[in-house]
Amino acid sequence: MEEHSYTPSEMMAIMTCKEFKDWEIAFVGIGIPLIAGILAKRFHAPNLSIVYESGCIGPEKFRMDFNVGDSSAADYALSLTSEWRVFADLQCGFYDVGVLGAAQIDRFGNLNTTAIFGAKDYYTPLVRLPGSGGGNDIGSSAGRVVVMMRLEKHRFVEKVDHLTTPGFLDGSPSARQKAGLLGHGPSAVVTDKALFYYHAETREMYLDTLYPGITLEEVKGSVGWELKVADNLKTAPYPTEEELQALRSIDPANLIMGGAAEREKIARAGIDAYVNLILKCANGR
Amino acid sequence: MQRGNGNSKISASKEMTLEEAVKKYIRDSSSITFGGFIGRDCVAAAHEIIRQGRKDLVVIDDSKTDVMDLLVGAGCVKRWEGAYLGYGAIGLAPNIRRSVEQGVPVHLEIEDWSNAAVSMRFLAGALNVPFMATRSMLASDILRYNGKIKVINDPFAGEPVALVPAARPEVAIIHAQRADVMGNAQIWGFLGNDENKARAARHTIITCEEIVSTEEIRRNANLTVIPYYCVDAVVRVPYGCHPQSCYGYYAYDVLFCSQYHQASNTRDGFLRWLDDYIYGCKNHWDYCNKVGWPRLQQLQYLERQFNLIRI
Repeated sequence: MEEHSYTPSEMMAIMTCKEFKDWEIAFVGIGIPLIAGILAKRFHAPNLSIVYESGCIGPEKFRMDFNVGDSSAADYALSLTSEWRVFADLQCGFYDVGVLGAAQIDRFGNLNTTAIFGAKDYYTPLVRLPGSGGGNDIGSSAGRVVVMMRLEKHRFVEKVDHLTTPGFLDGSPSARQKAGLLGHGPSAVVTDKALFYYHAETREMYLDTLYPGITLEEVKGSVGWELKVADNLKTAPYPTEEELQALRSIDPANLIMGGAAEREKIARAGIDAYVNLILKCANGR
Repeated sequence: MQRGNGNSKISASKEMTLEEAVKKYIRDSSSITFGGFIGRDCVAAAHEIIRQGRKDLVVIDDSKTDVMDLLVGAGCVKRWEGAYLGYGAIGLAPNIRRSVEQGVPVHLEIEDWSNAAVSMRFLAGALNVPFMATRSMLASDILRYNGKIKVINDPFAGEPVALVPAARPEVAIIHAQRADVMGNAQIWGFLGNDENKARAARHTIITCEEIVSTEEIRRNANLTVIPYYCVDAVVRVPYGCHPQSCYGYYAYDVLFCSQYHQASNTRDGFLRWLDDYIYGCKNHWDYCNKVGWPRLQQLQYLERQFNLIRI
């Protein structure tokens, strides 16, 4: 396995990166979605423009953002404007693709980022999540939506506790148009184990591609409904060394995919070491 | 709302201290909005509100991390009307979770919106019209729990749209890169909803990195996002957004936030943090001492390596 050493999160970022096309305009959230967008720009989509809800259009990324309003979100931007203006442009149909995460998803791609109710309710839930943010707006009006989330049975559910962001709603023909939604809805779900697309006729999610070393049973067992599988089920190639190197250079201190443990490590090294690392990596580009 | 003729916002100098501005304009139960967008939020103002012990605040805002997690953890907020309460790429907001899930220290009432909807609420407030229309939130459960959103069929073409009422908070606290003492506030980088928040609020407090002359404002008048007639108070608060970033001035302090997040995972840890960084500091200068000036200068150095916009 030494020659294929990568984490499930890295595989998820690399697979998401392939969902962007060159010259597209992408409404991207922070975290792994942004890493995937930056990676796409370094490979097959150098002219991809990234848009942030804070009001940043077309930045070039030499350092990582941790919030959509970090000053870094504005680095080398083509246009810096207002939040309401960017959402207006979304509603005008200027943005081709949005990338969203979620805590729960159902077979028609409806997303929950508001609360996990558990045995309780909306007002006093088991877990309060951040809420829609711009997620509902992106899911409503972006040309198409790519969802990134870990494949776990409590996340892939028959019914989401709270429908924060519309997918294909109840899956009926033209449910989105009838509701008044402008975008075409979800196009792909990229997880840490497999890639899912949506059937054009039924609007239901199906398994399209397994990642190396993952079995069909494992995936079926992680989905809370009777999962449809593509007739020609594919297996994704291993990430290349080039892809992994590029990916790791985007967040050199590994503060996002490495999580709290990595952040703890660099915090102990101190602010000076952190600043030097970020500048060294940026200068290398 | 009528704020035009004879308004009290015309004066040669509105400069005051942060303590004075918070004392003068923010009362228990006030409705507030903060500028910025998880970046350029005036975190120092949240600290001062906590020090002065304000209670039962209603916060109307788009997306917040540090400001709301601190205010809610310190027991200052009764109600939130907004779109996002998390902690960015670092995780969920620990005090928000404790408050909503367990009622610690008090239960936060939440009214969920989307960011575009909140943006339209402030645009309506700034236009002085009662509502705006949006194509967001249709067919979602946000409508189910939020009775203020009305879905109607557009009277002209018949398609469904959602109507959202104007937001008119009592106070907006907005951090600008610079302002003059009259209150002309210049902002660059992204703008969030600040131009509209300043116009929608009854009172606007501008905090800023630097106070400059009116002559200097006139040299770059396109940058004046908020003109003086919207403004009640001007306060110089350098590094007022730390640990968040301020475009062109200093970068996000991800390591500090990471440590805050760890510490706040338990209620005791958060209370210790509150003692160390807020109650233990008599004002913002004291907080800067506690954080350390070399650290703040490093964040400034980092920011300036990436910034192409020179004012």
